[in-house]
Amino acid sequence: MSGAVGREPVFPTRQSLGLMKAKLKGAEVGHSLLKRKSEALTKRFREITRRIDEAKQKMGRVMQIAAFSLAEVSYAVGGDIGYQIQESAKQARFRVRAKQENVSGVFLPQFESYTEEGVNDFGLTGLGKGGQQIQRCRETYARAVETLVELASLQTAFLILDEVIKVVNRRVNAIEHVIIPRTENTIKYINSELDELDREEFYRLKKVSNKKQRDNAAADAEILAARQKAAEKEAQNGTADTSTVTNNEPEATDVLGEQEDNDVIF
Amino acid sequence: MEGLFFNVNGGYVEGIVRGYRNSLLSGQNYSNLTQCESIDDVKLQLGPSYGDFLASLPPNPSTSALAGKMTDKLVSEFRYLIAQSTGSTAKFLEYLTYGYMIDNIALLITGTLHERDTRELLERCHPLGWFETLPVLCVATNIEELYNSVLIETPLAPYFKGSLSHHDLDELNIEIVRNTLYKNYLEDFFNFVNTHPDFAGSPTQDVMSEILQFEADRRSINITLNSFGTELSKQERRKLYPEFGKLYPEGSLMLSRAEDVEGVALAVSAVADYKLFFDAVGLSQGGSGLGGMGGGPADGKSLEDLFYQKEMEMSKLVFTRQFTPAVVYGWMKLKEQEIRNVTWISECIAQNQKERIGNFISVF
Repeated sequence: MSGAVGREPVFPTRQSLGLMKAKLKGAEVGHSLLKRKSEALTKRFREITRRIDEAKQKMGRVMQIAAFSLAEVSYAVGGDIGYQIQESAKQARFRVRAKQENVSGVFLPQFESYTEEGVNDFGLTGLGKGGQQIQRCRETYARAVETLVELASLQTAFLILDEVIKVVNRRVNAIEHVIIPRTENTIKYINSELDELDREEFYRLKKVSNKKQRDNAAADAEILAARQKAAEKEAQNGTADTSTVTNNEPEATDVLGEQEDNDVIF
Repeated sequence: MEGLFFNVNGGYVEGIVRGYRNSLLSGQNYSNLTQCESIDDVKLQLGPSYGDFLASLPPNPSTSALAGKMTDKLVSEFRYLIAQSTGSTAKFLEYLTYGYMIDNIALLITGTLHERDTRELLERCHPLGWFETLPVLCVATNIEELYNSVLIETPLAPYFKGSLSHHDLDELNIEIVRNTLYKNYLEDFFNFVNTHPDFAGSPTQDVMSEILQFEADRRSINITLNSFGTELSKQERRKLYPEFGKLYPEGSLMLSRAEDVEGVALAVSAVADYKLFFDAVGLSQGGSGLGGMGGGPADGKSLEDLFYQKEMEMSKLVFTRQFTPAVVYGWMKLKEQEIRNVTWISECIAQNQKERIGNFISVF
């Protein structure tokens, strides 16, 4: 896996090594934080799923009762009152308020239902007959709508949480399986490159010193040869001016000494 | 003597109605219906009585579609009757339709008040309450126009006259308008059966007086019970009580003063029948059993149910009398109850709530 991740395009320098190390540390901290967030969200998510299940079953029951109470109304009134109710309803009695809840950085909308007291638009419907059934039916339906509102707020939270959990998990996985291995790879690469450079440098120095030695040896040999030649010439000339010879001798040794010194220092 | 010449004009109609009565569902039919597993089964069981009318329904129809078709049958039978009748019988049958007309007009007034296209509402009107000038109501765009030029042309004009002005239509709750009209209608009907020379002293007067008195009392009691907790004041409430019936005048006065269910129970205690009802549902003890089929007492009967039951018994008894168009009234009420019963049963089946399926009223 880590082989496929590759590394980041950086120059293998000590500075980028430092940067990479900092990055790795940051990634690890971020990973553990995100992991915790994801766990918190998942916990919440499970709870919401459970509550949705409950609410849906409750809704099934309540809606059934409500539909049945409507049947009671149509039995008692013996006709269609739908139009009249629609027309006489002017103000909403049952209202919904929305607020936000913060779950580890995620804003979940929550709907809260409440009844506006004093709004009773069709209180007189069915005055002649069936009025009580109508009122009771209304109450039953108000309860049913309450359940629906509760379910709606749970469902919205469910969807949002689902989305957020997916994103967070994707990030966690990305950090765990891509960013961290890649940074580690880069660090490894930088380290190996740096080692390589060290070795190369060492080898180069050795080469240089070898060459110097060889050069020195060659120079020595040349000087020696030259000196021999001079000695032979002197022997041939016999009594050539000795003063120059004597002058020449110490000078040659001096030069040699100097060169030796240089080598040592180097 | 009174029956000597009845058959000259009304014999055919009466005979037809007695025939219709035999097609009403019996207890046996109902017990078959309650055994059904689906609406299709219900449709099948209704086949003998309703035949062609249900044939056009799609498989597994909705309960409202079923009820609609059943109402269609009632309407077509009633139209046949009214077409066959003459003289005072025809007038009597017209009176029967006024109740539906009130509902239709209330519907159209609601539409006009809210500036809806009233033409759409015509389809929602009850076909029995249809009269020739009903579509004209749609022409009016505002309430004043509706009142001044249109409503006075309708058969219901006398009921508006004197008790409702066009300002009332605008300001009052439509339910109050409806109930005022209904009160006037009931009083007029009562007056008609008692004073019309063809009916005075005939069985019609006997049975119809009794039925209408019961109807008036039932409305008074219902209005009182339903007005608790609403903005309807006691004076306004009192205006809605029909001014006849067994409760009138002492009972009505007490009803108008009643503030809770106990007050109502006290007000009606002078009449043995109603006292029995209230005792049966336990309203005298406390308000818990208040007219509910849901929250009602153990035997599942609410006050409303008991009233329906009583109405059905009375309608059934009408058939023991002869030489009277009142049988048409009885038959219509029985038929309406039958439609309600079938709707209830099919609702129970459709919603799979069989435990309360027996909560219908069958008198045969």
